[in-house]
Amino acid sequence: MRTALERYGTALAGLALALFFVAAAPNFASGTNLLNVLKETSFLAILSLGFTLALITAELDLSVAEVASLAAVVTGALVHAGQPALLGIGAGLAVGLGAGVLNGVAVTVLKVPSLIATLGTAAIAKGLAFMITGGVAFVGRWPSSFTGLARDTILGVPNVVVWMVAIASAAVFLVKSTRPGAHMTATGEADEAARLAGIATARMKRIGLALSGLLAGITAVLLAASLSSAAPNMAGDYFLYAIAAVLLGMTMFEPGRANVPGTLVAALTLKVLGNGLVLMGADYYVQDIVLGVIIIVSVALSATALKQAAFKL
Amino acid sequence: MHKNHRTLLAAYALAVATTGTGGPAAAFELGIIAFQMSAETHARVANSAATAAKAKGWTVTLLNSEGALPKHAEQFDALIAKKVDAIVVAMGKPVEADAQFKAAKDKGIAVITVMSGTSPHTLFDIQVNEYKVGAEAALYLLGVLGYQGNIITQRFDGNVGTRIRGKVLDIVLAENTAVKELAKHSMARTQSWRDDVRGGMQALILKHRGQFQGIWASFDGQAFVIDDLLKAQGMKKGQIPLVSIDGGPETYRRIADPESTLTATVAIPFEPMGKAVVDAIETIVVKKQPKTAVTQGPYLYMDAILVDASNVKDFAK
Repeated sequence: MRTALERYGTALAGLALALFFVAAAPNFASGTNLLNVLKETSFLAILSLGFTLALITAELDLSVAEVASLAAVVTGALVHAGQPALLGIGAGLAVGLGAGVLNGVAVTVLKVPSLIATLGTAAIAKGLAFMITGGVAFVGRWPSSFTGLARDTILGVPNVVVWMVAIASAAVFLVKSTRPGAHMTATGEADEAARLAGIATARMKRIGLALSGLLAGITAVLLAASLSSAAPNMAGDYFLYAIAAVLLGMTMFEPGRANVPGTLVAALTLKVLGNGLVLMGADYYVQDIVLGVIIIVSVALSATALKQAAFKL
Repeated sequence: MHKNHRTLLAAYALAVATTGTGGPAAAFELGIIAFQMSAETHARVANSAATAAKAKGWTVTLLNSEGALPKHAEQFDALIAKKVDAIVVAMGKPVEADAQFKAAKDKGIAVITVMSGTSPHTLFDIQVNEYKVGAEAALYLLGVLGYQGNIITQRFDGNVGTRIRGKVLDIVLAENTAVKELAKHSMARTQSWRDDVRGGMQALILKHRGQFQGIWASFDGQAFVIDDLLKAQGMKKGQIPLVSIDGGPETYRRIADPESTLTATVAIPFEPMGKAVVDAIETIVVKKQPKTAVTQGPYLYMDAILVDASNVKDFAK
């Protein structure tokens, strides 16, 4: 019983929060609002899943938000210039993946701690995004072949939600049902023991960081498609929320470990919280305070792995 | 329940309880979205509108998009779901968040923007003409210099208003070639921008000491930093004219202060714009008068006034 509560307690707390908003926040339970919450969760969840995959190998990726902004800008620049949507999408994904590979090389070959390497990548990405845009967003009525990626629906479900479910399923499959996933987990839990057991730990870390970058690229493409615009600081706001989602996710399902279902439920919880607070008429600073409280409480509860990743300098 | 989860649940409860909301709904609900509350000008408009709305007994939800387009769109969606009666957007992005602005209009929610540009989905935009403001500041500086000499400029291209001001300055300089831009510093950082401006301008002022006759800054906050740098080097008012844009109590105090080098600003009426937008909503949404009772076109223009030593006492009250 105690174990079950440890595994599901936070998720139940999130459910209780949602039920509270159903009762207390006007229109929270309306279909349109719930779909909006799910849609908004999708971007955060996909970005946070990347952070999760890196953290599973005990590496931090603090560049996810800035890399996503850069990838959005590259995608936006191409689509805005009338290039084929596929080219823009490919370029955005390539930027994300490239940044992830760069992080992986910096961490495993140059032996730069991921905390520092990814902060450096974030600064480079931010600089490049401003260099490309000059600070001015790419905005326009872009072709539906591109915007439809995020804006269209399948049986009434927004495409971005479908993307989120597909990516989360793939991530669960990777981590739980494949050899590389098992090796990534082993690398994150006991690097030296995994290496002695014959696991290519450096490669696993590179895979984790590369996937993190790739998911930042996917988030970027979906954001640009959803908003039909791309700005140099487009995803900057997601940085703290992505960390919060992963930390909160580590308090459930597999307490103390970064895990895909936990991140997914945590991202949803954070978006429910934000949406519910707005519907209750809470001013903007309350949301920041609440986010800060959640981060501190989450870390205090079970983010041991993150602490290890952060302080192994 | 495990004590860790009781703690987390308690944190949620405490956090939600601190919102201080949940009371009976007021008759009129206003949502206010400021694009970037950490920018003083955005905050001045939004806070002024919130104060004016609360004074009328309205319920106000004040939101900050933190400069992020996705959050801007999300907050619009949430206010639409909340079924507020009207939405005010300060320095917003109606083109980028076109779908959300349209959704608000489709739901019959009146949207009025402030210094955001117009949209087919809003009633109108309240603003000063940034191009005119930029021209006034640029021409004032050139006038003080007698249309000759060298200047140093402090720019910021990350904000639409300050970027326009810089571009207008470039046009003015292109037509008045006896004034040369000796050097410029572009502010790159937004969180620690004061440090950025201090470092960049300190280097330029030292490098070009004695070679420049005036300084232009894209907003008053930058001018405060530059003023302090010039004062630290023993400069007095009038030696190196320093001109910027925005206005506010600290700006007026410095313009009036004989020890300060800040010479002039173009004062943008941020607080009056915040009040005007609430008055406009009251006229159109509450009193059901036509939009033309407030303004005819897509804009409600307000005057920005050049403030220097000759009229600063009218502002520094």
